Amino acid sequence: MSAMLLNKEKWPDFVGKLAGKNLWVPRADGDAIRFAPAAEGEAPALDYSNSRVPPKQAVFPQTETLFRFKVDGEDLEVPQIEDQTVLLGVRPCDARAMTIIDKLFSWDENDPYYLKRREMVTMIGLACTEPGLNCFCSSVGGSPASTEGLDLLIVDLGENYLLEAVTEKGEAVLKDTADLLDEAKDDPIQQKEKIIKEAEQKIKRSVDPEGIPEGLPRLWEDPLWQRVSASCLGCGTCTFLCPTCHCFDIQDETEGFESRRCRTWDSCMFGEYTLHTSGHNPRPTRRERTRNRINHKYSYYVDKFDVIACVGCGRCINLCPVNIDIVNILGQVKEAL
Amino acid sequence: MRTNNNPYIPYNATVEDTWYETGGERAIKTFKVVLDDEEVRKNWNHCPGQCAMIGVLGVGESMISISCSPTEGEFLRFSVMRMGKVTQALHQLEPGDKITVRGPYGNSFPLDEWQGKHILTIGGGIGQAPMRPIVEYVKANYDDYGGLTMIYGARTSGDLCFKGEFEDMAQNDELSCHLTIDVEEEDWDHNVGFVPSMLMDLNPSPENTIAITCGPPIMIRFVLENLKKLGFEDAQIYTTLENRMKCGIGKCGRCNTGGMYVCKDGPVFNYATLKEIPEAFA
Amino acid sequence: MDLEKLRETAAEVVAREDVKYLLGWKSGTFGYRVAPGFVEDTAGAAELIFSPLCTANLATYLTLVEKLPVPRGQEPDQRKVAVMVKGCDSRAVTQLLVEKGIDRDDLIIIGCPCPGMVDPALLAEKYPETEEPAVVKWSENGFLLAQNGRETNLARDEFLAVKCQLCRYPNPVVSDIMLGEPVEAWELAEDKGVTEVEGKDADERWDFWVEQFSKCVRCYSCRNVCPLCYCEDCVLDRLNPTWVNRSVNISENTAFNIARAFHLAGRCIECGECERVCPANIPLGRLNRKLAREVRDKYGFEPGVDPEAEPFQASYKPDDPEDFIL
Repeated sequence: MSAMLLNKEKWPDFVGKLAGKNLWVPRADGDAIRFAPAAEGEAPALDYSNSRVPPKQAVFPQTETLFRFKVDGEDLEVPQIEDQTVLLGVRPCDARAMTIIDKLFSWDENDPYYLKRREMVTMIGLACTEPGLNCFCSSVGGSPASTEGLDLLIVDLGENYLLEAVTEKGEAVLKDTADLLDEAKDDPIQQKEKIIKEAEQKIKRSVDPEGIPEGLPRLWEDPLWQRVSASCLGCGTCTFLCPTCHCFDIQDETEGFESRRCRTWDSCMFGEYTLHTSGHNPRPTRRERTRNRINHKYSYYVDKFDVIACVGCGRCINLCPVNIDIVNILGQVKEAL
Repeated sequence: MRTNNNPYIPYNATVEDTWYETGGERAIKTFKVVLDDEEVRKNWNHCPGQCAMIGVLGVGESMISISCSPTEGEFLRFSVMRMGKVTQALHQLEPGDKITVRGPYGNSFPLDEWQGKHILTIGGGIGQAPMRPIVEYVKANYDDYGGLTMIYGARTSGDLCFKGEFEDMAQNDELSCHLTIDVEEEDWDHNVGFVPSMLMDLNPSPENTIAITCGPPIMIRFVLENLKKLGFEDAQIYTTLENRMKCGIGKCGRCNTGGMYVCKDGPVFNYATLKEIPEAFA
Repeated sequence: MDLEKLRETAAEVVAREDVKYLLGWKSGTFGYRVAPGFVEDTAGAAELIFSPLCTANLATYLTLVEKLPVPRGQEPDQRKVAVMVKGCDSRAVTQLLVEKGIDRDDLIIIGCPCPGMVDPALLAEKYPETEEPAVVKWSENGFLLAQNGRETNLARDEFLAVKCQLCRYPNPVVSDIMLGEPVEAWELAEDKGVTEVEGKDADERWDFWVEQFSKCVRCYSCRNVCPLCYCEDCVLDRLNPTWVNRSVNISENTAFNIARAFHLAGRCIECGECERVCPANIPLGRLNRKLAREVRDKYGFEPGVDPEAEPFQASYKPDDPEDFIL
């Protein structure tokens, strides 16, 4: 695969060339960054740590219409997903997260909505040079310049961006923008490796997952679950903002004479999630729900798909209103084992 | 077997017949359903133990056990307790009304593996619904099995499902069919007492026998205890689980019990597997 | 506040046989975070803090902790819960007492007179959080930040949280034990946030809130953190019938946020927790404070001040204004 250089002065032109497609870019909004369809001529600054809501929302929207139907009719209309989408500025952890949930959405029976969007998306990643305070990607199989799930990786070299194609889709982007790019010889590659090494050293938080997946079931009744969940508010912040959380609800909704069956993100931290109609709840308190969240990510998913369903992006730590900190929980898990 | 590749799109079907099994606020109504599309109908091939998502457009879907055996004909049967939003809407349906069906979902009872063995089903209340297909299947292939013993109970005679069928079966000497209710009633000429104690009274031999139990959690707990007392090994015991479900295809996440998805890895579980999952009986 | 005294008092309280646990604040795992603590013993009491970072309103746990059915043959745990409260938190407790959401006999209220909290988001913006838990204290002219061996003075005017700038009750309005001396109330700031929105015309106001509510991800952290959102069966969770659809769009998001604000009219005690926890940065405090202002101005009613008061929405006075009734 090829690697090219883009002088930063040509960045707006580069973005402009992508704008023919459905282009999503990171945009500053107050103290948060959000991915949103680009406005005309918008060239995003690439100086953010990470977006508030992960870019999974572009392939797994919070609300998705599965099909529409008339209240009194039989004809089901399935929305067609036809737009070629480009996600620009995706952090490597978030791209890796998509490869992790790909496994579930293609397990045994394909999920046509998710997989179609995945097929239609080109992911242009941005290597991390300044990891965030609670990043721990390198503990769970990622790295600041991981290319898993990416089509093209951008590395900030100071004066230039280094653009490395990872897939054919990435090569196509380089081809489409060829007139803006210069050859990247040995120097930039070495420069990149140095920058990435430095970035890795800047990661402050870590957890050693060795022994956790097989050990967690032994801790089922351990007092640690009560301890770490006592202050949990039972809100959906940790799960909704998690790039690997993929659970959803399906509901029929009617407006006027038109109805739709739609799916929306759901959270295992909500009591309603597992509540039987009889009133019985197999996970009656926040203790069981917190235990399930950790077990699902660090044990069940590993059993089924051979990968930890956590990419170490740190969002759940940064945004939990009551300082429930997954690195800290995993530390307590290790201690209890 | 799908005629489309979108697992979220249900098949259209028509309610051919309905009747009430039980009455009261949480009545159980049975629906005999025929899939509309001939090709879908021909290709539909469920096994005893499997479930389907049935629903009413505009209201939603519920995962319900298929309570008939494929040996009974080209139709489906569902026995539905009126509980929430969807089941209330289902209860409104009368013959000729439209219903949607997705499935069949989940694993099934390993009836091939069980050939040559004696089949013992122990059910309570609506828990008989997933086991009725076993009974029908074994009846239809009687020579392949070493016999059938059925224990079925409910709180009162009015709470027993499929009563007519079972009363016929109880008259058949070849089948060992035992009905029980919790408290004495007039004109009741079967057993009175709880299901687990009836199991002890019958004292079935564990030899070359498979026991399947389904019913309220408290009943299952005591049935399991009693099966152990009778000498049944864990691997000889099967049960089914149910949890809240939305997709039926292992995506939506919510039906997991430990690392197992009830919709894919279940609903049928061998007790030897299940007892290793601490959440299974939560 | 004297931390030794606080910890000593807490240790005495949790040592009592009739106390289940004590709700207090502990230093968090990094930066400016403070974690709600459920203290059951002396060792736990020794970790308690009270600092300008203790913004969390712990009264929410009085109703949030699940009450599971007592297994047959077991006695229900009737021990008391002790809770540390600032002025605003004590108003939540008072309002819960007014609404009979909790029983006074089940509580031990430990009052912490509060000189005002820093705005942790503002602080993090100016002085980025680091992996070490920082210490912030009250000082002569504001706050003192101790971070990684360096001390920084923080001007009160610059870092005082908005909810504290508007606080009329820095001292707990109800308590069993009071820690330290009452603080002197300070001059109230103008509620610029509410005034700004009030200054808009109807269309501009609508546009403003549409923009804000469109960011909502419906995580329900605002509802769950709210000490006065404690319905066991929340109207927003209901499916049969469904009052608010699960779809996340401007129409449903607006229905959710407005329903919540209305349910809090005359009940919100302005602790600002909803706005603090919102991961979408929606200025929910403005919405709730606007309704509180209306209730105060029109009806002269302030919730969570008098445990003997009648609930606002369940009381009537012959001279209540009714000019909004069509």
